[in-house]
Amino acid sequence: MQKISGTYSSLALALLFSSSLALFGCSSSPDEAELKQLDDLKEETAALQKDVEGKEQEKGALDKEIADKNAKLSKCNGDQQLVKQRLGK
Amino acid sequence: MKFYPLSIATLVALLVLSVSVSTGQEKMTKEQWQQEINKYTALRTELSTKVKSLTDQIAALRSQSSKLDDDVTKCMDELYALVGSNAELAAAYRAEIEAAENTANGLLRLSDADLMARSDEVEDLEAKVVKSLWENKLSLIPEFWDRLTTLNENVKSLRRTLAGATKMYSVGTWARNRDCLWNISKKEDIYDNAWMWPKIWQGNRDQIKDPDIIHPGQKLMIPQGGEMTAEEKAAARSYYSKLAFQNKNKGGNGQ
Repeated sequence: MQKISGTYSSLALALLFSSSLALFGCSSSPDEAELKQLDDLKEETAALQKDVEGKEQEKGALDKEIADKNAKLSKCNGDQQLVKQRLGK
Repeated sequence: MKFYPLSIATLVALLVLSVSVSTGQEKMTKEQWQQEINKYTALRTELSTKVKSLTDQIAALRSQSSKLDDDVTKCMDELYALVGSNAELAAAYRAEIEAAENTANGLLRLSDADLMARSDEVEDLEAKVVKSLWENKLSLIPEFWDRLTTLNENVKSLRRTLAGATKMYSVGTWARNRDCLWNISKKEDIYDNAWMWPKIWQGNRDQIKDPDIIHPGQKLMIPQGGEMTAEEKAAARSYYSKLAFQNKNKGGNGQ
């Protein structure tokens, strides 16, 4: 009988020791509201990243458009000189 | 066997600890959460700054593009004004050139025979290109100048094809057209030389047995101009010899 009670008390001690280690040995976890805050922040940055990509694309298209217009303007100025020469002949 | 309860207790303690550690790995700690919050907050700030900067740059580029539009329009107006024209007239002229280009391209795709049948269109096109389009001062503008130069080349190519292709001639009546091989050969658009008639004869031996006899409605093939071949010259000699012989006989009989 004494042997059985010794075994139980040892088991209880082991459980108490390990549970206290598991509960207090590590730091605490964030609560639901905090986790939601992090998720919202992640969503916000993802949307911003998408926005940046869209704007970079738009900027690229505008750069090309401007290069084309500059080329057109340059050609027009060259054409003016050529026409003046042809008219002079 | 005193160690027996102690061993069980150690095993249970290890089991509880391992379970708690494994569940702890899936859950985020408060410190990890804070690190993530810091990381994403910094990223948000960086991205927001980038969006604002890009928005400003885009606005500046739009304004630059719009200004360039005005500059190009102004330059083009000045260019047209140099030749006494404007954008509207230039657009009409551009459309005219395009129509001529389409006609030329259509004719270039035809077979020689089909082109022969539509030779009038080549002439019309040539007249249009040379007389109308080149005479317009807008042709001095490189855009039009280059296109007209290409068009000219295409018309010349069509002309060369027509010149190289075999012509056909439909014989008219003697009463109305005075058509005989001599007179046909003399025509400006045939050989412009009456003495070339043997060419037509030799080119149509299948339907002309006697060169003095051709019939209204006959379709004669007109071989390419140029020097007469030995065969054609021989045919001409044979004809004139025969004619001379006939005349001599006629004269002899008459005497």
